[in-house]
Amino acid sequence: MPDVVRRLRATGEVGRIRLSWEGEAYHPLVDHYAVYASIDGADETLLAKTVYATFVHSGLGGRARTVRYRIVTVDAAGRRSRPSSSVTGTSVESVAVSGLALATVGTFDHKSLELALAPNGYAQFPTRFPNDVDFTYGVHAPGTDWAYLHPGPADAWAGRKAHRFTLHFDLSPVPPADPWLAIWLIDTHATNPGTVTIGLNGTPVRDVALEKGATRGSLEGDATLPGTTLKPSYVELALPRAALAAGENTVTIDKPAGSWHAYDAIGVFTRP
Amino acid sequence: MIPLERRSFLALTGVSTAAVVLGTGHPAAAGYDGKVPPAPFTLGVASGSPLPDGVVLWTRLAPEPLAADGHGGMPRRPYTVHYEVADDAAFRRVVARGQALASPELAHTVHVEVRGLRPNREYFYRFRAGDEISPAGRTRTAPGPRDTPTELRFATASCQAWYHGHFTAYEHMATEDLDVIFFLGDYIYEYAINANNLWRQGVPMPAPEHNTETVTLEQYRLRYALFKTDPNLQAIHAHAPWLVTTDDHEVQNNYADEWSETGITPADFLRRRAVAYRAFYEHLPLRAVSLPDGPSMALYQRLGWGRLAEFTMLDNRQYRDTYPAGAVIDNSPERHNPDRTILGTRQERWLYEGIARTRATWNLLSTGVVMAQIDRDTGPGELYSNDMWDGFPANRDRLFAALQRSSATPVVLSGDIHRHVAAELKTDWRDPDSAMLGVELVGGSIGSDGDGADTDSFGPLWLSNPHVKLYNARRGYLTGRLTPTELTSEFKTVPYVTRPGAPITTAARFVTEAGRPALNREV
Repeated sequence: MPDVVRRLRATGEVGRIRLSWEGEAYHPLVDHYAVYASIDGADETLLAKTVYATFVHSGLGGRARTVRYRIVTVDAAGRRSRPSSSVTGTSVESVAVSGLALATVGTFDHKSLELALAPNGYAQFPTRFPNDVDFTYGVHAPGTDWAYLHPGPADAWAGRKAHRFTLHFDLSPVPPADPWLAIWLIDTHATNPGTVTIGLNGTPVRDVALEKGATRGSLEGDATLPGTTLKPSYVELALPRAALAAGENTVTIDKPAGSWHAYDAIGVFTRP
Repeated sequence: MIPLERRSFLALTGVSTAAVVLGTGHPAAAGYDGKVPPAPFTLGVASGSPLPDGVVLWTRLAPEPLAADGHGGMPRRPYTVHYEVADDAAFRRVVARGQALASPELAHTVHVEVRGLRPNREYFYRFRAGDEISPAGRTRTAPGPRDTPTELRFATASCQAWYHGHFTAYEHMATEDLDVIFFLGDYIYEYAINANNLWRQGVPMPAPEHNTETVTLEQYRLRYALFKTDPNLQAIHAHAPWLVTTDDHEVQNNYADEWSETGITPADFLRRRAVAYRAFYEHLPLRAVSLPDGPSMALYQRLGWGRLAEFTMLDNRQYRDTYPAGAVIDNSPERHNPDRTILGTRQERWLYEGIARTRATWNLLSTGVVMAQIDRDTGPGELYSNDMWDGFPANRDRLFAALQRSSATPVVLSGDIHRHVAAELKTDWRDPDSAMLGVELVGGSIGSDGDGADTDSFGPLWLSNPHVKLYNARRGYLTGRLTPTELTSEFKTVPYVTRPGAPITTAARFVTEAGRPALNREV
């Protein structure tokens, strides 16, 4: 019989839970691991099959979800192990859910559809956004003024240069604690997702290496469809209160390296 | 099939004949007879790796070849599979009989290593499981090591994306008089199959379990089964023995050893490579030595066709270094690192030792990716694809140095690019007048990329390299006729593959003289 996996662990992040485990892979050869899940107390179902010793349970959304997992090892002869011990993981609640919105662009719903040029009009970006995206919250509209796709220097169709997306919003007064920036992406480039540099009022905040996606978010815009190949990812980080100003503030998202990423929504929030 | 012969085959018990048992731990293949599900030979038969005294015979029991769990509709128990080898297509003169065990560990495939045959002869073979008898296949043995046959007729094939088109090229190849077929990689593709890429007309959309990138063993097995349901692929396997190697798509696009371009960690990717190699082994006529141990598969091999030719089958994926500076196409200084290898240290040493020892007139070197230098910048700059041998110039230089010390004329056979290309291999790529070391014949794809055209946007790029003598962007295959004095190579094309029935055309014919390698075009 194939071995039961050991040391099954679950780590929660925004929108997903990362699983890892250990187990003999080759003798006997593992055909796959069958990952079973019970979400928020519901009946256990087969969530996925994978040959890897890791699995990312994604698509959990912005709310905190609690999932109990067990794994069955299936070997090359089709034999099944008994299930592993179970482990429970909880995803991290997004500030887009728990926080109070100061400014948002789009809806945090794993879809790019409400943004400009979505879901596949990226070729029009150079003519529609010759000076990139410059968006003032309360003035501009996501459907016309915030492009769903943010090109990078690797993209010939957007001039092979760094592009900046800018969000202006008013604060009065400056909140008492660091506000948080949430950037939800429905997808990124599979091999060259690149990095983004976040700035606040001219002060660099952080460089973030984006996760590899599926290179499909330039063409399709709904990561909630069954069987979607889109790979959403999340960037959530604190903005330094010291760099804020009463009145107009400006967040910049620069893409100095890599290919495009596809937005779901972005927003600035105060944490509860 | 002759009824009398069928009865005698059915009556065979075979307990005294040699049993071949692979990867199961069972002491013998006998004793696992029993009721086999009806019509289990849905994926045909195959032979491969011909030696002067034997050949590998392959089949799989799969009454429901597309069963989603990858087990072909077979119960999870072993079955005895009987085989027989005959001098004649009617199986009147059976010269070898035996049995092998088809076990669920290997998806009920068998790989019989028949020995004791006579050199340089045609044979016919078939299998029986329970009351079921397989279609018959034709194969042949190699000439003896000291014989000099008057000729060798071969074909090459690669890149058979089932979903991109019909295997009409194989339909025509099966009408050729062939001694061996070299398969040069991309037997399957790992990509999800769906409405975006199903260009093969007249077939139903494969079931949803095919609409995902292959990652698990059951998915890889299912992918081989899907491709092998093609009757033309079955026919060409039954037509002649194959010698096979892989390129990247048997595992994942552009992989290099344990590196995946999609960021899978090496530890996880090796698990995937292990199941991908297992499924490859299971579905091809390979010797037991190639049965993978975890993620390792002994694939590179050397065989001979008497004194006429040596066959060197290279593995250019399992041991290669990753991109020198992280990009597929560049001209980075790191490209020229003398430590870079596409074959790995052990395979390189084995290769150069073999080249030094060969006494054959010709050395046919099979490799998945293009070996000739191809500068991809049509202007004054230089750009190279690091996915091909161009990513490993130091390795290529070491190989060329070894080939220059040998009297055998090198002929490199490759695939990967879905285009017919003929190139002269130069001792100095920058000097068109420099000596020619050998020739490279790149066979176009069987199905990948759909219908194609005589040329395309990449044509000027390839042809701007003066040692490239042919570029054709249609689907097809290559044939070669080797004699002690010359090689005649023909590039065959079909005008379309998305629908069946295309005629075959010889797009180009070259003659290459032994000892004076060049591409002399006749057609």
